[in-house]
Amino acid sequence: MLRCTLLVCGRGVVRLLASSFCSESSALPPNLLLPTNLVDPSRSKRPPPPADCPLPLLRSCDAVVPAHLSAVQTWVETLEARGSEPLGWAQLHPDVFAVAPRLDILHEVETWQKNFKRISHANTKIRSEVRGGGRKPWNQKGSGRARHGSIRSPIWKGGGVSNGPRGPTSYFYMLPMKLRVQGLKVALSSKLAQDDLHIVDSVNISSPDPQDLLHLIREKLWGESVLIVDVGEEFPENILQATASLKTVNIIPAIGLNVHSMLKHEAVVLTLESVRFLEEKLLWHDQRYTPLYPYKLPYSDLP
Amino acid sequence: MAALRTAHPAVLRGALRLYIRAPGPPASAVGLRCVSDAAPQDQTGVPSESTEEYKFVERLVPPSRVPAPPPRAGPSPSGWTPPADAPPPLAYTVRRSRMHNIPVYTDTTHGSRRTTLVRKVEGDIWALERDVKQHLKEVMGTEPPTQVNEVTMTLKVKGHVDSELKEWLVSKGF
Repeated sequence: MLRCTLLVCGRGVVRLLASSFCSESSALPPNLLLPTNLVDPSRSKRPPPPADCPLPLLRSCDAVVPAHLSAVQTWVETLEARGSEPLGWAQLHPDVFAVAPRLDILHEVETWQKNFKRISHANTKIRSEVRGGGRKPWNQKGSGRARHGSIRSPIWKGGGVSNGPRGPTSYFYMLPMKLRVQGLKVALSSKLAQDDLHIVDSVNISSPDPQDLLHLIREKLWGESVLIVDVGEEFPENILQATASLKTVNIIPAIGLNVHSMLKHEAVVLTLESVRFLEEKLLWHDQRYTPLYPYKLPYSDLP
Repeated sequence: MAALRTAHPAVLRGALRLYIRAPGPPASAVGLRCVSDAAPQDQTGVPSESTEEYKFVERLVPPSRVPAPPPRAGPSPSGWTPPADAPPPLAYTVRRSRMHNIPVYTDTTHGSRRTTLVRKVEGDIWALERDVKQHLKEVMGTEPPTQVNEVTMTLKVKGHVDSELKEWLVSKGF
């Protein structure tokens, strides 16, 4: 999949590729012209932070990590500076960011998100609703024609529809809460496993220009579309202005995180605060009681 | 007639006391206090608010999380055994349920079809299946058919073998 445009000359790419394979006999002819927007995945992917990383640990897991699992480690980057060096590294809880890739759960949750809001307004008239057709068109016997009781029966032209769509139909249904929560966990884990999840210290950027943000994203090789997730009701003005006019870069609050948006955008960018918020909320479902009364009412230790 | 006219007023009053009530609140309002009964310093024009007694409401609101069981060594009087401190050195793990129990469940369908389900398996589920089959062969004598579901990471065994599997998993330290 073509990720981003790297403005490298086609022949330069050939020389680079040939030099990287210089131990084996290179099968690429020197006068080969390759498309300019090829990205070398071995150069664009950064390996995960090693155990003896010199950069600081910016966040460790608040919740207890099970003894047989270990926390996932990722780089923490910044949106302000243009350099693509990370600020530090962070630990993520394995029960949120390293669950099994249940594609069936992702499919179920995505289908639910698409369909539960659907109200189909298709409606057809049945024979009793079509105008007219109350009188028997001709006598039962004697006319020589087929026997009919009404001119609006479904076998007549202009008659009612016998089994058509009837009125506004709702396709509303709710999946179990734990299934929807598992869908979010699976989506986050899949994004992290495919190197599409990026952690950022905060959502402050240096300028409100959308093109600057696009250059930053292209430089960091994040992909075509980016979903930025932050906690809080207020966002800085710069990021709001920058993303307002962009179609492929969007910012949402952490309570608005959903599987469809995560699948629609190629890269998902979380701030450290939103990681803390998501872990707290998603891990609570693993150790909660079944509700005595709806969770909208007060409990003593809701997250 | 002459006796009534010459009756002493005090005797009359004593006799009528049963029928004439002293002025005051009714007998049903024995424990109630009126604002007028309050001490002069408590009587103010504006009623004051205090949230000190809300603690009596707060302690009634239930918790939403299952608490961790108190630490103990060995089985409790009800038979519950805590998991081992260190995870056992096997290729698979069976996590505890949210109520800290072993996730082995039985089911009966079609009236006579008995199955046992082991849920919440992580790691190499085929190794668990081999070990389960071997253990059940030792305990029951026969190797019951099993079904591994790699997507949901569950193991289904034919027959009701939940007590054997629970004991075996607890002995492993899960």
